Amino acid sequence: MQRRSPLTRLRPWLLLGPALAVLAVLLLWPLVRVFLFSLQDYGLREIVSGEPNWIGLANYGEIFTDPTLWTVVLPNTVGFAVLAVACTVALGTGVAVLMASLGPLWRTVVGSAIMIAWAMPAVTGTYVWIWIFDADRGIFNETLQALGLQDEPVNWFTNRYTFYAIVLLNVVHHGFPFVAITILAGLLGVPKEMLEAAEMDGAGAWRRFWRIIVPNLKQVFAVVIILSTIWDFKVFAQVYLMPGGSGSNREALNLGVWSYVESFGQNRYGFGSAIAVLLTLVLLGITVVYVRTMLKEDEL
Amino acid sequence: MSTMTPAPVTTPAASGATGDASRGAIPRTRRTARKTRSAAVKAVLVVLLLGFTLFPAFWMLSSAFDKSAGAGGQTLLPREWTLANFEYVLTEGGFDVFLRNSAIVALVTVLASAVLALLASVAVARFRFRFRTGMLLMILVVQMVPLEALVIPLFVQVRDLQLLNTLLGLMVVYVALSLPFGIWMLRGFVAAVPIELEEAAYIDGASWGRMFRSVLLPLVMPGLVATSVFSFITAWNEFIFAMTLLGGATENYTVAIGLKQFFGEHSNEWGYIMAASTIITIPVMIFFVIVQRRLSSGLVAGAVKG
Repeated sequence: MQRRSPLTRLRPWLLLGPALAVLAVLLLWPLVRVFLFSLQDYGLREIVSGEPNWIGLANYGEIFTDPTLWTVVLPNTVGFAVLAVACTVALGTGVAVLMASLGPLWRTVVGSAIMIAWAMPAVTGTYVWIWIFDADRGIFNETLQALGLQDEPVNWFTNRYTFYAIVLLNVVHHGFPFVAITILAGLLGVPKEMLEAAEMDGAGAWRRFWRIIVPNLKQVFAVVIILSTIWDFKVFAQVYLMPGGSGSNREALNLGVWSYVESFGQNRYGFGSAIAVLLTLVLLGITVVYVRTMLKEDEL
Repeated sequence: MSTMTPAPVTTPAASGATGDASRGAIPRTRRTARKTRSAAVKAVLVVLLLGFTLFPAFWMLSSAFDKSAGAGGQTLLPREWTLANFEYVLTEGGFDVFLRNSAIVALVTVLASAVLALLASVAVARFRFRFRTGMLLMILVVQMVPLEALVIPLFVQVRDLQLLNTLLGLMVVYVALSLPFGIWMLRGFVAAVPIELEEAAYIDGASWGRMFRSVLLPLVMPGLVATSVFSFITAWNEFIFAMTLLGGATENYTVAIGLKQFFGEHSNEWGYIMAASTIITIPVMIFFVIVQRRLSSGLVAGAVKG
């Protein structure tokens, strides 16, 4: 083995140093600061003068007594995330299993197709979905009308549920390829002999999936679910860019958009920071739960 | 939803009544029937999947080339093809400048974060030192932090540094944004390289640096490619910081926020929007499809090659 010279002992820290410095200055310090802002009445005047104006927990008090939080923002954020993660992981797993059973040619075709869905940037993808569901000339309305299912074009963006249905379609379409590719990579690593032995013993595809593949890929599933949950809790562009999504339709607000709109729309940076801190705490809670389940399974 | 094909029920007892001669034949036809059925189910699933997956991209392309996009009554394929939308977008629309800005930002982000993430991931995956788990947790925590929480303090910070409306401010932020995920991903690739390979290199008298270059780096290459793809995409697609930090400076816009230009007060120019979206999306897609095989097989291949 290696000699334990000082360089050897210091090496991890030398390797980590640059990355840690960047993360500390650009991610950790801002996180501390957003918390400090949330305890202030921080508006344009404070930005320019730099004078703090501490108001304690008043921002948080205002958030928790605001009915918008309980009736609109929380249901939109949590309900949406739960649905989106369930759909994304289920669809992604299904596609991975399908791809694993295909021959090389079709696996490449399907793989390339889902890469296209994955590669579609969130911003342009959102615009395409808006265009598909456009109230005046979108193909969705025109098709429904041509089929005689509705007489007049419907504006799908004004109703809160159809609004989020479109966001869900958008987010799942964009999110399932990552899940599929990651799980496929894991699937291909499951020993073939194990699956063949199970098949010889008469285990059907469904049983093989739950008894062999799922236990073997627990770690992969854990990572995929963690990341999907984290991503789906903080969807921003997919909501903000939709018609009415940037604050004019209060029914469509989620935590992230509410925070942004209050900060940069109303110049209430303190209040916006408090909302952002709450969103961060929610995500932190989820992360802690997942990390604990992962640590139980295996050392990190 | 699950795309598992339901397993056909086979009852061995049912075929037991026939004579010796057919004993081998019946299971074979059954197996063929089962195979045909599962192939048919698979084919349907593949068609449905391709339809759902490709429709938005197809519709974007179709609208971009359609002379009358947005005029109503558009057909699946344009009745009159045109390049006018692209021409307008790349000249008067200003996308030539936006593309250059985005390319610069993405390139710098990819290079800087690849180097930083690779070094850090080796430390995290290979060395046992105190706080190693804590470090990983921190990376995960940072990965989970919402951009909405970072954009407020970073806006103030960048403003204080007088870097608002510049590309530099944006690049620095993007490196930080792509680092945690890069470290997280590369850590898996580094850990997949058998430690025996490294020890063999040491036994052959290699220094740590030599081992890193000749053993670790080639084996982790697929992971580095995958990580670079991710940081490229982070920088190319990022929206909220570009919108906030570049607010007034139209000449410094990246492609992701350049699209806003075509949204009018009363009507949206869907032909232009879809043409611009195509221009933004195509490079990312080509890039993605090229690295696809390395992405999916990189981890497994890297671990076995030794």
